[in-house]
Amino acid sequence: MKITTRQLTLCAVLAALALALSYMESFFPLALLIPLPGVKLGLANIVTVFALYTLGAPMALCILLVRCTLGAVFAGNASALIFSLLGGFSAMLVMIPIHKSRLSVFGVSIAGAAAHNCGQVCAAMLTLGNLAPLSYLPFLLLVSLFTGALSGFIASLLFRAMANTALMQP
Amino acid sequence: MNTSPKLSPTKYDLLVVAAVLALAVCLGARSFLDARKPPQQAGGNSVIISIDGEDVECTPLRDYSGQHVYTNNGYTLTVASADGWVDVTQSDCPTQDCKHSGAISRAGQSIVCLPARIVITLVGTNADYDVIVG
Repeated sequence: MKITTRQLTLCAVLAALALALSYMESFFPLALLIPLPGVKLGLANIVTVFALYTLGAPMALCILLVRCTLGAVFAGNASALIFSLLGGFSAMLVMIPIHKSRLSVFGVSIAGAAAHNCGQVCAAMLTLGNLAPLSYLPFLLLVSLFTGALSGFIASLLFRAMANTALMQP
Repeated sequence: MNTSPKLSPTKYDLLVVAAVLALAVCLGARSFLDARKPPQQAGGNSVIISIDGEDVECTPLRDYSGQHVYTNNGYTLTVASADGWVDVTQSDCPTQDCKHSGAISRAGQSIVCLPARIVITLVGTNADYDVIVG
């Protein structure tokens, strides 16, 4: 695979943006409104969806990997890595095959958010060695319908805004 | 541009919503049915404390009243129990999810504290624990 300078730069900027968004998210704790472990807005998913369409699956995976690794390094929390990696890769696993289907960014984003929650609950079950986190999954899935639709909506605004810029020209 | 995304919601998106809802309902059905079972006689439930994936304590709920302190992974939890309810009243973890999740009283319910890796689960006497070690 040949990577152009434009792609490499976009990749780096998007990774930084995803990292900043996941940090920024901690200022708007959705968990205060909905007291469930693991509830969050998932704003970094906007970047993943954007990267998936503009740069393709391999680059989007790279951005995800960079975001999760650096996020865990900056948070100084190695055990958070398994949560973000399992969540992020589950979301990718679901979004890669469906992003070229008849679904809009809304559908793709909701599916990604739901898969992300499934991955995080798996991570919680692995860390705790206990099936108890599974009982949170139905509620997390319901919340993911809203957070997924929200990040899908923001992604659609982003695509509209970027459509006629030089960035999106081949 | 790699692929142009569809920017407005389509009817196919409803399939995704339906699939997520169906998954949530299927997973939630079991705990919902458990919750609708007639309540067991007072004190019929037992408390299981699991730390790092190992059950370290299993006490009948009626013998569990009062304050209990558990420390693991650098965090300390205070668990209070009275009248068949169990609640995390104090925790020094950053997320405080365990405190926010409220009190539990029915078999099958649990409180999870991820940072401390402590799980508090209530089981009924008819659950598949045939020996209860006080």
